[in-house]
Amino acid sequence: MVARSQRERALDAAVDVVAEKGYAATTVADLTREAGISRTTFYEMFPDKEACFLAAYDVAADVLARRVAAAFETEPAWPARARAGLEALLESLAEEPAIARLALVDFGAAGPAAQRRYRAALQRMTPLFDEGRDFAPEGRRLPPNTSRMAIGAVVGLIAEEIAAGRAEQLPGLLPEVLFATLSPYLGPEAAALAVAGER
Amino acid sequence: MPRTPSTNGNASPARAKELDELIEQEQLPAGRDDLAEPPVAHSQRERLLVAVAKTTAEKGYGATTIGDVCTEAGVSRATFYELFKDKEDCFHAAMELSLADAMGSIVAVYSPDKPWATMVRDAAAAFLELLASRPTFARMALIEAPASGERALQLYASGKRVLQSLLERGREDPVEEEAIPTSAARAALAAAESLIVGQILSGNTARLPELLPDIVYITTLPYLGQEEALRQAREAEREHPAADR
Repeated sequence: MVARSQRERALDAAVDVVAEKGYAATTVADLTREAGISRTTFYEMFPDKEACFLAAYDVAADVLARRVAAAFETEPAWPARARAGLEALLESLAEEPAIARLALVDFGAAGPAAQRRYRAALQRMTPLFDEGRDFAPEGRRLPPNTSRMAIGAVVGLIAEEIAAGRAEQLPGLLPEVLFATLSPYLGPEAAALAVAGER
Repeated sequence: MPRTPSTNGNASPARAKELDELIEQEQLPAGRDDLAEPPVAHSQRERLLVAVAKTTAEKGYGATTIGDVCTEAGVSRATFYELFKDKEDCFHAAMELSLADAMGSIVAVYSPDKPWATMVRDAAAAFLELLASRPTFARMALIEAPASGERALQLYASGKRVLQSLLERGREDPVEEEAIPTSAARAALAAAESLIVGQILSGNTARLPELLPDIVYITTLPYLGQEEALRQAREAEREHPAADR
């Protein structure tokens, strides 16, 4: 069995310690203790706590984005593709509550650099939403920021659940996040029907 | 930024009282209307509040020290500690002030004579104009607050609950209510918030009022339906034409 690299251990430690103590209270000493690495080794890899946190964030966001994209591709067309992608997103987050918390709640405590990184990661979800514009009868008349707002609504609802300690129950949120995704494109009536309808 | 004629406030005592009760229930400070940017610094306390907003907007909350805030305010450290327990305490007071301001801007457009959708249009316009005219406070309240700890976050959440209650009034309008989830108002607010934060992070705070039609669309949509929400967005654009659209 191949031992995890020191870098991987540091990234895992960032996820676990931040989930436990919160970003502000986490120290480099906490990270080195949890990872079982020396302070010197830590500073050879990262200039500071924030850099380690951001690297851990990138890894988590990448894993999530790939899972969501894979699920999205299993369906031929929107809105079934959106449903599949959201389902995968909620399930992945529920399986890894510590990563969910890091990715969607704690990022805010790491300042503007983390927030920009976070928003860039969210933009990777744009295709999940943007196909709605071609699908929707009113697509061409919709406001320019429709996909940004739909993503904001979905992520906001998910972050509230996680912050309330309900990360494990996230798959139950599917009807609400699906409605938040579909209604800006289809209107509330058609969205409610699509949410209630067959998969 | 001048107030537009359509948003000047002859709030009815009855409905304004209702809104005041909501604000009070959330234990938010009452609104005030005299905080210009840079505010007239009536006191050392106010100078420190403006300074903490300005410094955190520039350096980030984590990197801001009490020394920075005192230098910016031209106030001694001893005076700082007479007025505030620590950095977080000072930041919290500045958050309270800006939240009071935001609530004040919404109370000013609240009136029983307006249909709900008009009230949403006017409140959104007033709110965006307020943020655009006070960029340091906008950045502090929307970007730095989450980094500063639980107290500021709670305050922020209370402000959101007031806005959420206002949006939920949309359910009282005589529209055909389909299976709209109870989270619709929270989702709409999260959508608007995300758009506003993105605009501030990309350095376009002054252009926030251009987002008005989009925000009117997303907040009225669950209650009025798509056709009417699109019409409300066009109406908002007509009433509040943004300069460079």
